[in-house]
Amino acid sequence: MKYETVIGLEVHVEMATESKIFCSCSAKFGGEQNDHVCPACCGMPGMLPIVNKHVVDLGMTAGMMLNCDINRTTTFDKKSYYYPDLPNAYQTTQWFAPVCVNGTVDIKTSKGEKKVRIKQIHMEEDAGKLVHDDWTDSTLVDFNRTSVPLIEIVSQPDLSSAEEVIAYLERLRSLLRFAKVSDCRWEQGSMRCDVNLSVRPEGSDVLGVRTEMKNMNSLSAIERAIEYETARHIDAIENGTEVLVQETRRWDDIKGKSYAMRTKETAGDYRYFPDPNVMPVVIDDEWYNRIKETLPDLPEVKAQKFIELGLTEYDADQLIQSRALCDVFEAAYKTSGLAKESANWIITDCMTILNKKQMTADMLSISGKALGELIKLVAEEKVNRGNAKRILAVMFDEDINPQEYAEKNGLIVSNDTGKLEEVVKAVCAADPKSVEDYKNGKEKVFMALFGQCMKQLQGNCNPQALKEALLKELQ
Amino acid sequence: MDREILRRLESLNQLRLTEEEKEKVLSFFEMQDKEITRLGDIDTEKVERMVHVMPMNNVIREDVVNKVFTRDELQAAAPEAYDGYWQVPRLVE
Ligand SMILES: [Zn+2]
Repeated sequence: MKYETVIGLEVHVEMATESKIFCSCSAKFGGEQNDHVCPACCGMPGMLPIVNKHVVDLGMTAGMMLNCDINRTTTFDKKSYYYPDLPNAYQTTQWFAPVCVNGTVDIKTSKGEKKVRIKQIHMEEDAGKLVHDDWTDSTLVDFNRTSVPLIEIVSQPDLSSAEEVIAYLERLRSLLRFAKVSDCRWEQGSMRCDVNLSVRPEGSDVLGVRTEMKNMNSLSAIERAIEYETARHIDAIENGTEVLVQETRRWDDIKGKSYAMRTKETAGDYRYFPDPNVMPVVIDDEWYNRIKETLPDLPEVKAQKFIELGLTEYDADQLIQSRALCDVFEAAYKTSGLAKESANWIITDCMTILNKKQMTADMLSISGKALGELIKLVAEEKVNRGNAKRILAVMFDEDINPQEYAEKNGLIVSNDTGKLEEVVKAVCAADPKSVEDYKNGKEKVFMALFGQCMKQLQGNCNPQALKEALLKELQ
Repeated sequence: MDREILRRLESLNQLRLTEEEKEKVLSFFEMQDKEITRLGDIDTEKVERMVHVMPMNNVIREDVVNKVFTRDELQAAAPEAYDGYWQVPRLVE
């Protein structure tokens, strides 16, 4: 018999805010243990949560990128469970009126295009981190991550293979990074995923027993886990190797196996309850439209626009890997009017510097306008490429005006022909043997003399003008 | 409300009630239950769903970081703390 896999995903994404969802503590990753903590997020009695406006902005943004309807009145609820990483013994989340409902994500796989339906997106707080410590034989609690804002994106069970799941997650990641909702870094846990999976005979409309794998944090692990679980389910159905039960399982990526964790709590066990301490958020037209206006083009729409400006498909594709690259490109192009050059400077030169600094494309924060000005200086032959690269490197550390910087540091190409002739004469006078060789037909020495002149001029000259001056001198 | 539900709530809330306390809780909930059931008699056909108990919306703040307390201050009253962490009995994962 042939089987089909039915997969639904719950994706958790940490939002790119400065502060936490209900208090003013820093939401940044890392920091010393319990350094980003206050009485509110460590669960002291009597503290009142106050919603971070930007969290709602980003929740809406995510929903709009995923074609969702926005709930204009959205509320927060308590989800109760006891665990030391949750200081209030409940998580504040959204159950009755999540910020976004009914969306779609388009994916492409080797089997063609597909629309994956989104059930809802809700905003909630993250939990803390536990360290199980052998030395003290105790569990140590770090609340830095507690109350860091998350969105959970819940899909309908529309996915049917590891390939589709990967395509969906990559698309989600690209859209959310593009809209600056999150940096979506698997390795830092700012993107995590619960995989709900069941198997049924092909064509059947009855769902099989569903198992859930929680907290998956890499694409390769997700792919392997889906393949393992699918095979396990089929084996159980066909050969009766085990009785499938609805349960939460843990994926061990090193052993390549999944293990049962605990029987899945039903929704009732979390005792969802409207949180009386968090007031409803009402999104009026003004707020809704303000967010709508800030939405970026979809990556492929942006790529098309770049191609129309004269970029190759390859270059456009490189730029849309990161919103930061697009933003710098657009500003550099606007200033310089030179599309191809702007793309080259970003894809080649900026990326080289980023790599050296062990930074990612998302971290490109130089001024696009300044880069445009630098590109113009090169195009107008006022600064040569080598010096322009040096100026670019400075732009990564300081906010400079390229023209002013070039002038101040003597990096402007000299159009002073008097100076050129002076240097040419001096170089030739200092190396009469080469001059003699050249006159006797050894044309190779020309480049050596040219190089010496260039060195003396520190590169600040128009190569063509120098060539002419040198030829004239040697005649 | 019966003994089975009470048992589950005990476990979910990590409580251990004595037999005497259980009786007390059960009779209290029985009384509450009667009152709540009476609410069902009220005609709410034309009443809009209440969104929240407080007549207030949009209690929101700007996304600005502000640090008011130090870690030591927050952990001053902690029953157990170690190396900047709150410390609890070891959990088996
Ligand atoms: Zn806090």
